Amino acid sequence: MAAQAQPPSLLNIHLKLLGFSLRSITPFPNCPSVFNLNGKQISRVEVLGVVTSRDHKPGRFLRFTLDDGTDSITCVLWLNHLTSSFFATRQPATLRVISDLSKSFADDLRLGKVARVRGRVSIFRGDLQVTVSDVVIETDPNAETLHRLDCISLARRCYFR
Amino acid sequence: MAAIKSGALVTLLELQPSSEFFKEGTSLRVTGKLQEYSVETAIAVIADQGVTLKIDTQHLRELGFRIGSIFQFIGELHIQPDNEAVLQARTGRNVDGIDLNLYYQSLQQLRQFQVEHMKSATT
Repeated sequence: MAAQAQPPSLLNIHLKLLGFSLRSITPFPNCPSVFNLNGKQISRVEVLGVVTSRDHKPGRFLRFTLDDGTDSITCVLWLNHLTSSFFATRQPATLRVISDLSKSFADDLRLGKVARVRGRVSIFRGDLQVTVSDVVIETDPNAETLHRLDCISLARRCYFR
Repeated sequence: MAAIKSGALVTLLELQPSSEFFKEGTSLRVTGKLQEYSVETAIAVIADQGVTLKIDTQHLRELGFRIGSIFQFIGELHIQPDNEAVLQARTGRNVDGIDLNLYYQSLQQLRQFQVEHMKSATT
């Protein structure tokens, strides 16, 4: 008898999630960067919504919220790549590119804009947040509708099966 | 996740006094065609499916208000003494080109999905 194929791991995939689904995930014990979504391990997400708040500390971070109509999602975009010791092992040229890109993302993330954000899920002071790695400002007025339908379809066919 | 409340996605047709959304301070996201706009008072009136809603846009002075365009606002609902509702907008944007039929269908799908999600969470 052939062995049953294992479902593909979701751990390193950016899952398209709505805010209220993101709220339902829980951290794995002793593994703060991995979360449990319906018994599946996840670490990265793609979320999309209207920017409804922004707290900008130049050279340090931009903390902002995305409202997707189901929840407000807290996101943090780090802007300290050139000064933080956390990135000391990275190539200076690479860090400059990442730093410039992050500054450009921070400028684009204005109140009322619709942003598609990819990043890692983390916990800060007990609350879930997304540590941003990529930002796209959506100008298509149907982008949110299509993302919403994508999230529902993927959840039913894959994430929550 | 965040202290800022999310604006529940509603149609203007659903904003009747008997509706669960028709409450003082409720955070909502509404969509409609701009029917009127007063520069003096910053009050806009949007319409959808024969229903209108006043929007207080005093915090959105950078937005270009063009009569006939479709706008989407997120904010808090305030019920006046005469039972008229005004949305105090926090954000607003022009969504000309939005497929409203698809938008309404996606809201139905979303609500159905949220009910399924809640049921599975409790079983």
